[in-house]
Parts: sequence; C-alpha cells; structure tokens
Amino acid sequence: MRRLLALAGTLLLAFPATALAKGEFDPAEEWTLHEWIPLHLGPLDLSINKAVAYILLSALVTMLIGIGLMRVKTGRDPTRKQALGEQIYEIAQTQVAEQGLPTKAIGMWFPYVATLMLFIWTINMLGFIPLPLSDEKFELFGVELPTLGIFAATSTLSVTIALALMTFVFTHVEGIRHNGPLKYFRSWIPDVPKALYPLIVPLEILGQFMRLISLSVRLYANMLAGHMLILTFIGLIFVLENVVLAVVAVPFATAFYLFEVVIVVSIQAFIFAALSAIYIGSAIEPEH
Amino acid sequence: MDFSVLAAEAAGNVDAGKAIALALGIGLGSLGAGVGIGNIFGSMIQSVARQPELRGELQGIMWLGFALTEAVVFYGLIGGLLAYVLI
Repeated sequence: MRRLLALAGTLLLAFPATALAKGEFDPAEEWTLHEWIPLHLGPLDLSINKAVAYILLSALVTMLIGIGLMRVKTGRDPTRKQALGEQIYEIAQTQVAEQGLPTKAIGMWFPYVATLMLFIWTINMLGFIPLPLSDEKFELFGVELPTLGIFAATSTLSVTIALALMTFVFTHVEGIRHNGPLKYFRSWIPDVPKALYPLIVPLEILGQFMRLISLSVRLYANMLAGHMLILTFIGLIFVLENVVLAVVAVPFATAFYLFEVVIVVSIQAFIFAALSAIYIGSAIEPEH
Repeated sequence: MDFSVLAAEAAGNVDAGKAIALALGIGLGSLGAGVGIGNIFGSMIQSVARQPELRGELQGIMWLGFALTEAVVFYGLIGGLLAYVLI
C-alpha cells in the first residue's frame, strides 16, 4: 500500500516536469478550439469542440439544478434545499422578471429569463471548476487522459453572441407581435422635432444593434478577462521560469479567482437576465 | 524627453505601438469605470444612510449599474486587444 502511494507521488511529481518540458507558453493557446468531432454542414461548422462540450454539460447541470432544487421533494415542510430553490426563484421573480417585464408578459417570459439566469450562472461557474475537458493530454498508467483545466464557454464570443441573439430576436418578435410592425418601429424614435430625424433615426437603429453587441461583449469580456488574469499570474511563473514568483503569483491568482467566483459569476448571470427582461419588456410596452 | 522623440522611436517599432494601444485601451477604460463605480457605491451608501428600509430595492439597481459601468473596462480591453491582434 505504501509502495503504491509512493509510486503515485512520484508520478504526480513527474507531471509538472512534462508540462514544463513543453517549452513555449502561449496564453492564447487556451482559447483555440480544436475540433473533437468534426461536423460540417456546407458552410456551417457544427463541430463539437471544448466550448460545445462545456455548453452541453452546463445545460445538463442547469436542468439537474432546476429539477433538483425546485421539483424534487418540495412541500409544506421546507428543507434547506427547498429554501435555496425558493430563494433563487424569488430573485428571478422579483429582481429580474418584475423589474423589466410588464405584468401581462411575465407569465410568458419569466421562464425564459429565469432559465437564462440559471444557465449563465451554471456555465460561468463550471468555468471555474477544474474539469477534465481540455485539449491537452497526459498519460496515467498507460491511459491517455485529458488534463484538468478551467475554461468558460462564455469566454468565447460565439457563445455569448448566440445567447444575445436569442434575446435580440425575441425582443423584436414580441415588439411586432404586441404592437404591430408600424407602431413598434415608430416607437424606436423619440419625440424630437422633425428636422432632427436624419440625425436621430440612424442613431436609434444603430442603438438597437449596439444592444446586441454590448450584451454579448459584456459577458464575453468579463469571463475572458477573469480567466486571463488568473492565467497571467500563474503563467508568470512559467514565463520567467522562477518558482519563487509563486509566493506572489499564487495568492494574487487565488484572490482574483475568489473575486470571480463570488461576485462576477453571479452578477453577470443576473445582469444578462435582467437586461433581457428589460429589453423584451420595453419592446412589448414602448413608453409612448 | 519630449513626445516627438518618443513618437519617432516608437514609429520604427510596431510592437511598442501595439503595447501602447493595449495599455491605453485598458488604462483609460478602467479610469472611467473606476470613477463610475465609485459614484455608484457612494450614492448607494448615501441613500441607504438616508432611508435604510429601501436597501433591498436599491441593491438590485446598484448591481445593475455596477455591471453596466464595469463593462466599460472590457470594451476598452477588447479595443486594445483588437489593436494588438489585428494590426
């Protein structure tokens, strides 16, 4: 038994050596997506890569969280689990849905914004848990296993653009459905003298598309910057090839990690859902 | 040293220009966002001191404002990264 432990210990010590022997350290390498299962439909690239795997996993985890907290064994005599589920539901109801959506639309759009909130929280959170879903491999007892790594699917722009596009499309579909196309597009333009129209109309149309960009880039850049900060601090040790730096770098990286996990992950999920609710709500009931 | 000398030295060195672009993007972005976030939390403290019973309602708005302001840093970061990567 002891001999086995010693063997495992030496094996573990051997891994950093192979990692160091790789030579050039390139931070951008973390964000290149290699195709795991190539799927090409004409010009469409639907390949399964790291980001897709993370999305699928977090969709599964979101469902498990939702069902586990809010469907299984709930009743008059609440347990701590049920209290947690109710707390999440209450935040989604009072802070997200009721802030943005008009009363007549809550029934229809509450599920969407609540799902967005839970899903983005999960996908962000999974990005900070080391999971064996990475492109690099190491050998353990002759079996090739992926190394543990942290990667957030939301730190790739295509994922957040897809999420933002959903809100964008729903906003305009709902706006047209509730107000009719003419009245809806008319509601984009504020009350200004007619002479200012050539200036205002392009700006307002541009503003609608800026929403799409700001919604996606906010989430993307937040997660990218968070991961990059941690990677930079840890990477300093490898770039400068000086282990003593770990005394400074690791506490800093841990501090940023905790900041991201405690604050940024939840806030970004909340913000994305709240802004989606506000956009959809303001399309359903334009202010004038 | 005046700026024309700096500019002349940087002109031959594209990497230096890239580094300056990236640093300016992040630096100016965080400058604005720092002021903005300070404003938000300052106002939050003031309003809770005046009307402590509104804390719950205000908190949601505060975090919304915080995230909207904080995002400005990242627009700067993305701009800087674009300059760094594309040019």
